[in-house]
Amino acid sequence: MKQLVNTFLAILIVAFGLMFLASRLNSAEGYSGGNTLTIYNWGDYIDPELLEQFQEETGITVIYQTFDSNEAMLTKVEQGGTVFDVVVPSDYAIAKMREENLLLPLDHSKLPNLANIGSKFMDLSFDPGNLYSVPYFWGTVGIIYNPEMTEGIDFSSWNSLWDKRLDNNIFLVDGAREVMGMALNSLHYSVNDRNEEHLQEALAKLNRLSPNVKAIVGDEIKMLLANEEAAVGIVWSGDASEIMDENDKLDYVVPEEGSNIWFDNMVIPRGAANIEGAHEFINFMLRPDVAAQNTEYVGYSTPNVPALDLLPEDISGDERFYPPAEITDRLEVYDNLGKRMLAHYNELFLKFKMNKK
Amino acid sequence: MKNKNGIANIYLVLVFLVLYAPIFYLMYYSFNSGGTMHEFEGFTLDYYREVVADTRLMIIMINTLVIALLSSAIATLIAIIGALAIQHVRSRRAKNTLLSLNNVLIVSPDVIIGASFLILFTIVGIKLGFTSVLLSHVAFSIPIAVIMILPHLQEMSPTLTDAARDLGATRRDVLTKVILPIIKPGIFSGFFMALTYSLDDFAVTFFVTGNGYSTLSVEIYSRARQGVSLSINALSTLIFLFTILLVIGYYYLNQRKSRPAMHIAEQVAEAGVPR
Repeated sequence: MKQLVNTFLAILIVAFGLMFLASRLNSAEGYSGGNTLTIYNWGDYIDPELLEQFQEETGITVIYQTFDSNEAMLTKVEQGGTVFDVVVPSDYAIAKMREENLLLPLDHSKLPNLANIGSKFMDLSFDPGNLYSVPYFWGTVGIIYNPEMTEGIDFSSWNSLWDKRLDNNIFLVDGAREVMGMALNSLHYSVNDRNEEHLQEALAKLNRLSPNVKAIVGDEIKMLLANEEAAVGIVWSGDASEIMDENDKLDYVVPEEGSNIWFDNMVIPRGAANIEGAHEFINFMLRPDVAAQNTEYVGYSTPNVPALDLLPEDISGDERFYPPAEITDRLEVYDNLGKRMLAHYNELFLKFKMNKK
Repeated sequence: MKNKNGIANIYLVLVFLVLYAPIFYLMYYSFNSGGTMHEFEGFTLDYYREVVADTRLMIIMINTLVIALLSSAIATLIAIIGALAIQHVRSRRAKNTLLSLNNVLIVSPDVIIGASFLILFTIVGIKLGFTSVLLSHVAFSIPIAVIMILPHLQEMSPTLTDAARDLGATRRDVLTKVILPIIKPGIFSGFFMALTYSLDDFAVTFFVTGNGYSTLSVEIYSRARQGVSLSINALSTLIFLFTILLVIGYYYLNQRKSRPAMHIAEQVAEAGVPR
């Protein structure tokens, strides 16, 4: 009995000791002060030094929280219970949040640095007029390939994937929009095509691709490609840069027929507590020097035009991640197709998956 | 016969290899100066320094430990009461129902438990953060602790308590001097099980964290999107060592405590049965 009581007392003492330590650390960092700003971002998606710099310049303490998928973030924001001041969702999630009235309109007069964003990246279908969102990073969907394993096949066209030499050597990412979009693009249709004939054509073309497809996989695609389990993969450019960091033999290309372009954007959710601070933060992130530093840290493509000049040539001049105008002109954002059309896309993608042996 | 044993041993070694190899692989690369998990270039402690220098990560680590310790201690206390209560129920059917209800909580998916806690907390108006995480960890730890304590209660011979009562022990004495010492191994295993559950729980915790409060599992999971940095390896190594220490501590307690418990049982038995 004595031992039981002693053990439990010891546990309590240790726990409260640790709590005291945590609160000391918290107040040393200023997290418990009054003037705070809560940011909800993807994991490891900002240079931590910038948060400190922001804190020094404005005196606002940043509380930083992370999520791992748009869906998870949406759940937390919708349910409430936590106050977020700035959130960084992807394009389609913004369309959804706008529909559900989860966003606060931005006050553009407080965001003078918005002028730094390239006009190509403004006024897009998910948020016309940028009433609610400001671009943070962008990227594409493309082909990552291993030149040593592909016998010099030229991947500048989607149609190269149908090459007989790639038998059982392609990984596809498990996304209906990505795979259907790729097939539509290869036929020179839009990734947002709603024409039934075109869609059936795309499905038939995909079915002809299945001998080449080794597997349709989720996030593990990065690891599989880096380990050279297959020669080719259809991935997002962000994933591609990570894979190439791990295995520099690989190369990435955005095919000339066009492709999808995706965005992660800063928004202010309804219920934000520090709206003034949120604007200050967004404006801060739009500053060329800040955007450049952040781009070097994160490694995705920045929409900030003056920031490009501050970046080393080997980043800003990399056509794989900053494709030339003739390709960017053909890049399309995924439109919100509506529930029925989206279900149809999913159904077609499912049919393709089931046909695959 | 001997051959059969040999195969069994090989199997056992294989199982342990499969279980431990990834952990040691991860620990090995936490010292890699190369920065990736591919080629080992040279020994470095940089990632450990990075972990210690990252105040936010340290706060999160402390949070995780505090939650684990507090929640499993509270859960174990409640579970002791719960197990005693279940043991006290006379009707067999009611007892089985209570046990099944307890087990349902253990097998039901974490995601559902997490989502329902989130809904509950927002309806009741509890702010997400320390309190909500602690409460939910206590809640999902209780059934586990009950399961660990109950068998010890069932094994205990009812004559022991009767004998103690006959000898003039008060209810309180019976509880503190007879029952608790006998079920002590169960209490400790319940506590440690709850501790490990709380340390690595992601699904429930994800839903109920908020307002800058986070635990390691949630933090690591969201960082992993960008590829796991080696500082996470370093951190995992530290946590692994910490849990090893816990296991050793548990083993030590187990070794020591079984004797006194027997001792009391024998004492009571001897005293209770007059020659």
